[in-house]
Amino acid sequence: MSDFRITLRPALGSAPRPASRGLSITAMPEGHVVQVLGRPHTPDLFGVLERATGAAHRSVRAAGPGQWFIVGDAPLSRDEFAALSTALQPHATAVDQSHGRVRIRVEGTIVERMLAKGTAVDLDPGAFPVGTSAMTLLGHVSVHLTRIEIAAFEVMVLRGFAESLWEDLVRMSVEFA
Amino acid sequence: MASLISCPHCGARPKEEFTIKGAVLSRPAADAGHQAWTDYVYLRDNPRGTHREYWHHTSGCRRWLVVTRDTVSHEVGFCQDAAAAKLAEVRP
Ligand SMILES: [Zn+2]
Repeated sequence: MSDFRITLRPALGSAPRPASRGLSITAMPEGHVVQVLGRPHTPDLFGVLERATGAAHRSVRAAGPGQWFIVGDAPLSRDEFAALSTALQPHATAVDQSHGRVRIRVEGTIVERMLAKGTAVDLDPGAFPVGTSAMTLLGHVSVHLTRIEIAAFEVMVLRGFAESLWEDLVRMSVEFA
Repeated sequence: MASLISCPHCGARPKEEFTIKGAVLSRPAADAGHQAWTDYVYLRDNPRGTHREYWHHTSGCRRWLVVTRDTVSHEVGFCQDAAAAKLAEVRP
């Protein structure tokens, strides 16, 4: 057996705080991210997903046809993941991505103007209301965007890109300082 | 070059989010002759005008699309999910 112990370090633990007053960028808790892939030709699974996530503090985010993310702030135990996975059968398959994706919260009254520097998605609240999600490019980095509040977005990114994306977001915010 | 592609799932997105996967051709039967397979794999027309291509929405919904675009005017026409396009195909 190895003496080497694997320790989980937060992906954005040492990231510098942005200087902007109009915008805040914060690392969200590294709780859980579960990717859900529906079987082809299955009718809309949103009801199944809502039931599977239950009353727990979890949210379902759309990520394209037949694809979703279930996210939450608390870590998911082995048993909880197994229960979730079972609840989705036989309609969809769950893949635990908690170790692989990081969520960043960006917030401020002009948050759309900052994000618009990186993506072509129409982020006007009329076209992109609270609860809407989109997979898109933010600069050169592939992200999953969700409007979680009227002036707050969740930006989910692959863990290895988290620091780089953070630096991009900080640079994009500089003019609003 | 077409710069905005109207993904049927995601709406209008810049071409940087997509990967072009080449002309839409029907695949020969497995036992079709050497010539048919050489044509299918290697030989391409270079059409002037309307062109049907596979585009993959790599940084979006990750679906394969069939995009009809004009190689002269750069106009993007009909964009369709490749699975839907296949279902709509007339089979003998
Ligand atoms: Zn798309």
